[in-house]
Amino acid sequence: MSLFFIVIRQLAEFQAMASSKKVITREEWEKRLSNVKVRKEDMNKLVMNFLVTEGYVEAAEKFRLESGTEPDIDLATITDRMAVKKAVQSGNVEDAIEKVNDLNPEILDTNPQLFFHLQQQRLIELIRNGKVEEALEFAQEELAPRGEENQGFLEELERTVALLAFEDVTNCPVGDLLDISQRLKTASEVNAAILTSQSHEKDPKLPSLLKMLIWAQNQLDEKATYPRINDLSTAALEDPAV
Amino acid sequence: MSEATSQSQPPAKDLIGSYFLDLWCHTSKTLAVKPETKYASEFEEEEEESPTELDTVNSSGGFSVVGPDKLSLLYPSVNLHGHDVGVAQANRAAPMKRLLYYFEIHVKNAGSKGQIAIGFTTSAFRLRRQPGWEANSYGYHGDDGMLYRGHGKGDTFGPTYTTGDTVGGGINYATQEFFFTKNGVVVGSVYKDVKGPVIPTVAVHSQNEEVTVNFGKDPFVFDLKAYEAEQRAKQQIKIDNITIPQDASYGIVRSYLQHYGYEETLKLFDIAGQSTVPPISLVPEYGFSEEDSMYALNQRRTLRQLIKSGKIDETFSTLRKWYPQTVEDDTSTICFLLHCQKFIELVRDGKLEEAIMYGRSEFEKFKKLSGFDDLVKDCAALLAYEQPSKSSVGYLLQESQRELVADAVNAMVLSTNPKLKDASLCMHSCLERLIRQVTACFLEKRSLNGDQGEAFQLSRILKSGKKG
Repeated sequence: MSLFFIVIRQLAEFQAMASSKKVITREEWEKRLSNVKVRKEDMNKLVMNFLVTEGYVEAAEKFRLESGTEPDIDLATITDRMAVKKAVQSGNVEDAIEKVNDLNPEILDTNPQLFFHLQQQRLIELIRNGKVEEALEFAQEELAPRGEENQGFLEELERTVALLAFEDVTNCPVGDLLDISQRLKTASEVNAAILTSQSHEKDPKLPSLLKMLIWAQNQLDEKATYPRINDLSTAALEDPAV
Repeated sequence: MSEATSQSQPPAKDLIGSYFLDLWCHTSKTLAVKPETKYASEFEEEEEESPTELDTVNSSGGFSVVGPDKLSLLYPSVNLHGHDVGVAQANRAAPMKRLLYYFEIHVKNAGSKGQIAIGFTTSAFRLRRQPGWEANSYGYHGDDGMLYRGHGKGDTFGPTYTTGDTVGGGINYATQEFFFTKNGVVVGSVYKDVKGPVIPTVAVHSQNEEVTVNFGKDPFVFDLKAYEAEQRAKQQIKIDNITIPQDASYGIVRSYLQHYGYEETLKLFDIAGQSTVPPISLVPEYGFSEEDSMYALNQRRTLRQLIKSGKIDETFSTLRKWYPQTVEDDTSTICFLLHCQKFIELVRDGKLEEAIMYGRSEFEKFKKLSGFDDLVKDCAALLAYEQPSKSSVGYLLQESQRELVADAVNAMVLSTNPKLKDASLCMHSCLERLIRQVTACFLEKRSLNGDQGEAFQLSRILKSGKKG
């Protein structure tokens, strides 16, 4: 074969290598996986962090006993925080505000947005219970002054008051405010503010880790084919397409 | 499963046994070598060496003088042309297995022309030219504030710098860029179009120019930690934007509790989960139906509690009663692990004579197991110290060792489930498999990136966000 053809063939091979991705077989990948040693202690900490941040107090206490893992925040503070969260989730906003102030009066002082959202939720609950006059009074006395200070608040306030204008509240343009998801949103906000005030991260670390897995796999997909985990709840490896 | 498949896979017992034995060997090697390491660095890779001073062996013959502390550079004479630059490289290449690398120079004297440069070069660099004037080199020059990256002509980059200024050069492996700073402020960055290791480089070129170099011995003028946090935050935003199924974490925690037999925690967790708003719905785990993961939950819990309290004799008798098949082979790995643990517990209680007698009667029969020598040596070493917990084999007395044995027993019991299809499901929880996968992906990504950048480190995630 002449040199010319040898060179052409070599170029074609280079071309193929450049555009194709590295292929890692199941066997090879499993070998690498088995080289990764994960400390049980670290996994326990991740789980404890989840229980504690999400507020599963009793489970966290029990986990401490059963696994010997120390929680990274004082479990007593969780009970208080969960009481606030539940109060908001059940629509008892006044009660929630009182509890937050008992826990730490600075939280609402330093969080005007949170405070506004709590007041807004109070208004929503008044409207939901048909207490129209009380709602209007509350809106004018408590919320309007806040609205004057902040354009965003004003818009929210107007949206909320608009609920009163409709007969069929559940089907009106601002009907989503009456949805339970609105309560949950506010409850989440309060939960996060309390955690932050206690110098604790407001999100558990486990979801972040799951996101990192997805991100890392997406990044690696650009350069290699390898067994992926596509279902987080099973962590089953799926073979690369041959 | 066909006859052929089940024959080709070794019995579950062996797989499990060897897995945990291997894990113990790994711990022994990493911890026994560095007993004072806190858990964080235990499974991390070896530290790469960093540059510490200027290299005097290779520095260009005679044009510049490296100070006796090897951290300063002086150009004593008058330069004649562009091939008599006084260049000094660091004594090693910048480490690559991390997010950032950084070093600084301080201009003590800009001399007659201020022709100072800071940058990065390779080992092939001709040490008579300014960094950036040759291919595969980069230099930020003080006299014109330009960035040179391989040609004689530079690009407009930043301010000039002179006497009294502190200029830094860094590498960002995530973005594959070089970046430079002046007096604590980032000047700019440029794509790093060089493969392989690069060496921090300094150059001087006019009479009386003098610079000092800081490879980290002294604090930097630039707030590197803050910059690092900033870079991580940028990457984190991309990651945060990824969506995951709503109750994924909940499900993983639940299966973790089931897998390792944390029965009481699981009960309370389930109760709490039912009253969550909105209620949580779960899909059963693949390969393991709800029944399977709850298999022997109470028994596994009991066994774990026994081992964690150091009651090994009771563990043996309980296993013989409930799952005799796991301990019937007296020379199996699981028996070895349990006997060693009994030995350790005797030492912990100060019953040294009893421990010796126990060891003598029990250890012999496990001689054929791989890793046997090293592990028994570790156990026996406990006897040599007055304060064994502070010794290099002190790890044996920690909770983590009891945990290892408890997890091994847990896996053995799970393997007795007649409905079990895959032995590997006994050994690793879903969470562990996820962590392994993300670690392996990061490592492969890094390897394809010329081995540059960070690996995934669980300890870093656990430590992040801690204040005070």
